[in-house]
Amino acid sequence: MIFTVFFPLIIAIVIPFLNRFKKRIHTGVFALVVPLGIFLYFIRFIGEDFQPVSQQVPWIPSLNIMLDFYLDGLSLLFVLLISGIGALVTLYSIYYLHKNEKLGHFYVYLLMFMSAMLGVVLSDNVFVLYSFWELTSISSFLLIGYWNHRERSRYGALKSLLVTVFGGLSMFAGLILLSIITETTSIQEMVLQKEMLLNNDYFPLIMTFLLLGAFTKSAQFPFHIWLPDAMEAPTPVSAYLHSATMVKAGIFLVARFSPILSGSEWFFIVVSIVGIITLCWGSYMAVRQTDLKAILAFSTISQLGMIMAMLGFGTEVAVFAAAFHILNHATFKGSLFMVAGIVDHETGSRDIRKLGGLFTFLPITATLALFGTFSMAGVPLPFLNGFYSKEMFFDSALNLTEGSLTLTTFLRNVIPYLAVFGSIFTFVYSMYLFFGTFTGKGDIGSLPKRPHEAPVGMLVPPAILVVGIILIGLFPNMVNQPFLAHAAEAISGMKLEEKIAFWHGITPPFRMSLTVVGIGTLLFVFRNKWKGIYHAIPGPLSLNRVYDWLLEKTESYSSRMTKGYMNGSISRYVALILTTILLVTFTFMGFTEGFVMDTSNLAEVSTLEISIAIVMIVAAFGTIFSNNNIAAIIILGVVGYGISTLFVIYRAPDLALTQLIVETVTVALFLLCFYHLPKLRKNVDSKRTKIINSAIAISFGTLMTMVAISSHSSKWFEPISEYFIETSEELAGGDNVVNVILVDMRGLDTLFEITVLGIAALGIYGLIRLRNKKEENE
Amino acid sequence: MSNLAALPIIIPLISGILLIFLHNRMTVVRILAKVLTLGNLAVVAYIAYYIYQNGTITLEAGGWQAPYGIVLVADMLSIILVLTTNLVAVAAVFYAPSSLSNKQEHFYFYTFYFLLITGVSGAFLTGDIFNLFVFYEVMLMASYALIVLGGGRIQLRESIKYVLINLFSSVLFVTTVAFLYSVVGTVNMAQLAERVGEVEQKGILTTIAILFFFVFAIKAALFPLYYWLPNSYVAPNPVVSALFGALLTKVGIYSILRVFTLIFIYDPNLQQFFIWIAGLTMLFGVIGALSTNNIKLVIAYNIIPAVGFMILGIGLFNQTAISGTVYYLVHDMIIKAALFLLVGAVAYLAGTTDLRKIKGFMHHYPVLGWLFLLATFVLAGIPPFSGFIGKLLLLQAGLASDRVIIVIIGLITSFLILLSLMRIFIQCFWGEKDNDAYTVDKQAARKFTLPVILLLFFSVVLGIGAEFFYPIAESIGKYLMNPEIYIDSVLKE
Repeated sequence: MIFTVFFPLIIAIVIPFLNRFKKRIHTGVFALVVPLGIFLYFIRFIGEDFQPVSQQVPWIPSLNIMLDFYLDGLSLLFVLLISGIGALVTLYSIYYLHKNEKLGHFYVYLLMFMSAMLGVVLSDNVFVLYSFWELTSISSFLLIGYWNHRERSRYGALKSLLVTVFGGLSMFAGLILLSIITETTSIQEMVLQKEMLLNNDYFPLIMTFLLLGAFTKSAQFPFHIWLPDAMEAPTPVSAYLHSATMVKAGIFLVARFSPILSGSEWFFIVVSIVGIITLCWGSYMAVRQTDLKAILAFSTISQLGMIMAMLGFGTEVAVFAAAFHILNHATFKGSLFMVAGIVDHETGSRDIRKLGGLFTFLPITATLALFGTFSMAGVPLPFLNGFYSKEMFFDSALNLTEGSLTLTTFLRNVIPYLAVFGSIFTFVYSMYLFFGTFTGKGDIGSLPKRPHEAPVGMLVPPAILVVGIILIGLFPNMVNQPFLAHAAEAISGMKLEEKIAFWHGITPPFRMSLTVVGIGTLLFVFRNKWKGIYHAIPGPLSLNRVYDWLLEKTESYSSRMTKGYMNGSISRYVALILTTILLVTFTFMGFTEGFVMDTSNLAEVSTLEISIAIVMIVAAFGTIFSNNNIAAIIILGVVGYGISTLFVIYRAPDLALTQLIVETVTVALFLLCFYHLPKLRKNVDSKRTKIINSAIAISFGTLMTMVAISSHSSKWFEPISEYFIETSEELAGGDNVVNVILVDMRGLDTLFEITVLGIAALGIYGLIRLRNKKEENE
Repeated sequence: MSNLAALPIIIPLISGILLIFLHNRMTVVRILAKVLTLGNLAVVAYIAYYIYQNGTITLEAGGWQAPYGIVLVADMLSIILVLTTNLVAVAAVFYAPSSLSNKQEHFYFYTFYFLLITGVSGAFLTGDIFNLFVFYEVMLMASYALIVLGGGRIQLRESIKYVLINLFSSVLFVTTVAFLYSVVGTVNMAQLAERVGEVEQKGILTTIAILFFFVFAIKAALFPLYYWLPNSYVAPNPVVSALFGALLTKVGIYSILRVFTLIFIYDPNLQQFFIWIAGLTMLFGVIGALSTNNIKLVIAYNIIPAVGFMILGIGLFNQTAISGTVYYLVHDMIIKAALFLLVGAVAYLAGTTDLRKIKGFMHHYPVLGWLFLLATFVLAGIPPFSGFIGKLLLLQAGLASDRVIIVIIGLITSFLILLSLMRIFIQCFWGEKDNDAYTVDKQAARKFTLPVILLLFFSVVLGIGAEFFYPIAESIGKYLMNPEIYIDSVLKE
C-alpha cells in the first residue's frame, strides 16, 4: 500500500528524462501506467467481506509521525476515484495537450498530486495527513499556474493556494490539539476516545479548526471563491483536481472525523447550514455564468455543498447518500468537464453565448453530455445514477434527527425547502448547459475553429464515465453492498443496510423531484424573463471583491504601518528603543522590588570628588548645548580627564594613565577629522521633540543610576577578584594584578580585543583606499 | 582533548590573519579561503562527533581554573550552532567570488569573513559572560567592516545607523555585566547560574536580567527593537547579507536561550513577557515583509518573524518548546542564508530589486526558480521540510500549555510568510518571457545556484531525516531544562 502512495512520486522523478522522447512518445503514455496500475491494485479489495487493512512504516517515530496507512471503505472509495478518474484524465490529456506544451511539467505536477491525494485518503497519522494535504494544495497551485504567462492563471493559482493553505494551517492546529488531548497521532485511536473528546473544553475549537480546513478545501461558502478562478488550469486538471478529487478532500476530512465530530449537535448545525447555503448559492450562481467551465465550477461548488450537507445530517440515509453521491458526482462531473474540454478544443470557444447547435457537428460528444447533464439534474429516469442520490438527499432532508437546540428545530423545518430550491437551480443550469451548447441556432461562423468531432482518444474517457452513470443507474445495488456500504460504515462508525431502488412509490422525496423538474423546466424556458434578478442579487456584491480587497489592504496597510515607524531617522529609532527599555525595565523593577539603596557600605565622599563630579556634569551638559563642534569636543575631553582624575584618587594610576592617553588621542583625532567635516547643523528638531528626547534621556540616566545603586547595595557574594589578588604573584609571577589579569588570567579577552582593533584598522583602511580609487577613476 | 573547544575559534582567526598578507594574490586567496573554510568545517564536524560520543568539552583558557579564568564550553548546543555556522560559511565562500567585485575581495573581504566566523563561533562557545561581550565585539567589528565594504552611498548611510545602534547595545552590555558582577561577584556563567539560583534571582537581579534581555534582543531583532535591521541588511553585498541574516541575529537568540535557560530562570513573569514579545515580533515582522516591493527587503524582514518563533519557545519554557527553538534555530540559519543568496542572484541577474520590474525569470533560469519555490515552502514551514519540524514542536508546546492565541498568531504568521514570498515567486519567476529587461547570463546563474543547492539540501534533509536529528534537539532540550548538568561540567572539581 505504501508503495502505491509513493509510486506516482517516483515516476514523477523520472518523467523529466522520459520527456526527452516526447517527440516520439507522448509523455502522458508513461504517466498513464501509474493510475491504471494503482486502480487495478485496489479494485480487488471491493467485495462484501472487505475488511480494513493497515500498514505501518516508521518515519519520525520520535515525534510520533509514522507512515501509517489505513485502507477502510471510505479510503477505498476515494482511492478508486483518484486512480480511476486519474487514469481516464491522463488518457484524455494525451489528446488534449499538444506535444509543444511543457508536457514534462504537466505530468510531474499531476503525478505529484496523485501521490498527495492518495496520501491524504490513506494516512492514519494526522501529521502525515497534513503533509499530503499541503502537497495537494501545492500541486494544485502549480497546475492552475501551468499557463502562467496568463495573468488570470497567476491570479487563480495564488488565490487557490492562499485559500487552501489558510484552511490547511487551521486544520493543522486542530490536528495538533487532537493529538495532544488524545496522546496519539492515529485517527483510528482518536475515534476510540470520542467520548472524552466531546467533553473536552477544546472540542469547539477543534471542530472549528478542522471544519475551516474542510470548508476551504471543498470550496464551501464563503470560501468557494477560489474554485471558479482555478478553472484557468488545463481542462483535464479541472476535471480531475477541481471536480472529482482534490475538492473532495474537504468532504473526506469531514467524513473521516465525523465519528468524532458528529457527536456534537453543533456539527449538524454548522455543516448542514454551510452545505445547504453552498448548494443554493452555487447552483443559483451557475445559471448566471457564460463560460462552460465556469458553469461547471459553480455546479461543482453546489454539488460539494450538497454532499457536505448530507454529512452534516449524519443520519443513516444521509451518510449513505453522501458516499453514493461522491461516486456519482465524480462520474457525471468528470465526463462533463471532458465534454467542455472537447467543445473548447474543437471549436476554440467555451462561451455559451457563442456556442449552440453543436449537436450536428459533435453528435457523440453531445450524447455523452446529455447523459451527464441529465444525471446531474437528477431527472427521474432509471438509468441515471444522479437521480438516485438526489432522491436519497431529499429523503434524508425530510428525516433529520431531532435535537435539543431551537436552532436544530428551525433547521429541520427549513432544510427541505432549501434542498428543493438548490435542486431547482441545479436542474436549470444542467439544462442550460446542455441545450445552450448543443441545440438551438449557434453562430458557428464566428467560432475560432470549424467544429468537428473529437478524436477517439478524447471521447473514450468520458464515454467510460457515462457507461458508469448508466450502469450504476441500472444496477445501483451492484456498487451498494460490496463498496458503498463499507464507505458509509467508515463514516458513521456503524453497520448500515441500505437498499437502493428506483421506485419507492409516490413518496414525499419523489414529489420533491417532480417539483424540481416542473419548476425547473418553467424557469429554464423563461430564463430570459427573470435573469434581471442577478442585478439585484448578488448585484455588484461579490466575495471576490472581499478577497481582492483583503489582499490589497494587507499590502497597502502593512506598507503604511511599516513606513509609519520605519522612517529612517536614527534618533527616532533610538528614542523608540530607549522608551521600550525604560517602560519594561521600570515595570519589572517595580514588581520585583528591584530597587534597594544601602548606604552602610559607602566610603567617605571628599570635597575633591564632589567638585570633580560637578565639573564633569557641567562639561557633559556643555557638550550638548555647544553649537561649535570643536568646542564640543574639547568640552567632552573635560569629562574624560575628570574620569582620569577619579582613577588617580581611587589609586589606579595605570588606569588613569590609559584613560589620559585615550582621551588625548581621541580629542586630537576628533579635531583633525572635524577640520575636514562640514559645520554642525543647527538642531532643527521641534520643541516638542526636544522635550520628549530630553525626558527619555533623563529617564534612561535615572534608570541606569538606580540599577547601579541597587547593584552596589546588593553585594551578596564574595567577588572572584579576591582570587586574582591572592594568586597573582604566586601563580603568574606578577605584582600588578591588573596587568596579570589582562595578559594572563583573562588573556583570551585581550587577544580578541586586539583583534577588534585590528579589524577596525583594516576596515577603515579599506574604506579609505576604496574611496580614493573611486575618486581617481571618476 | 579539551583543546578541541578552541579550534573553531582559532582556525578562522589564523586564516583571517593569514589572508591579510596575501591580498595581492587574489587567486591564491580565493582558493585558500575555500580550503580553509572546508577544513574548518571538517574539524568542527569532528568535534561535534566527539562531543556527541563523549559529552561536553570544557577548556580553561590559560590553565586558570573555573570560575576564575575564562572557560570555553563546547556542549551539544554550541557545537551544533558552530557546525551550522560553518555550513553557511561554506556556501558563502563559494558564492562570494561571483557576487563580489574585485575591489571588495581585494580589500580584505575574506579576512573580515573569517573574523566574523571567529566572533560568532566564539560567542557560541564561551562560558564566560564578559568573554561573550568580547566575542560580540569581534563579530560586530567584522560586521561593521563588511557592511561598509565597497562604500556605496546607501551602504554608508545605512551602516552608520547599524553601527550606532550596535554601539549603544555594546555599551549597555558591558555596563550590565558590571552590574551583575557587583551583585554576584563573578562572570563565569556556570557560577552565575549557581549563585543566582542560591538567592533565587531576588531583588535587582530580575532587572539586570531584563537589561541583558534587551542587549541580546537588539541584536536578535525582536519587537520593537529591530528598526535598524531591514535596511542595513540589504545595503551590503548579498553574500554579506546572507552571513548577517543567517548568523548575527541568531547569536542574539542563542544568548537569550543560554542566559535564560541557565542563569535567570526563576521569574515566570519573564517568560510570560517573552511570549508577548514573540507574538508581536512575528506579526510586525511579517507585516514588514508584506510592506515592500524590494525583494531583498522582503527577505530581510522575514528574519524577524522567525526570531519571534524562536523566542516563543524560550518563553514557553518546557522541553518540547526548547527543542523546537533549537531545531528552528538551525533551520533558520540555513534557510535565511539560502534565501539571501537566492534573491541576491535574482537581483544581480535582473539588475533591479524591484519585484514589479522583474518577470518571467522561470524561462531563463528554471533551476533558480524551483530552488526559490522550495526555499519558500521550507521557510513557510510546509512539510516535510525543516521548517515544519521546528514549527510543529513549537505549536505543540504552545497548545499543550493552553496558549491558543499565540498559536493562532503563529499560524497567521506562517500564512503571511508564505504570501510574502509567493508574491516574489509569482511576480518574478512566472509570467511572460521578458527578453528586453535584462541580459541572460546562464553561466553566472549556475555559479550562484550551487551554494544554494548545498544549503537547501540540508533544509530538506533536516525535514525528511528528522528522525536522525530530532533526538539531538530533544536531548539538547532536556539538557537546557536541567542547568545543573552545565554547572557540573564546568565546575566539576
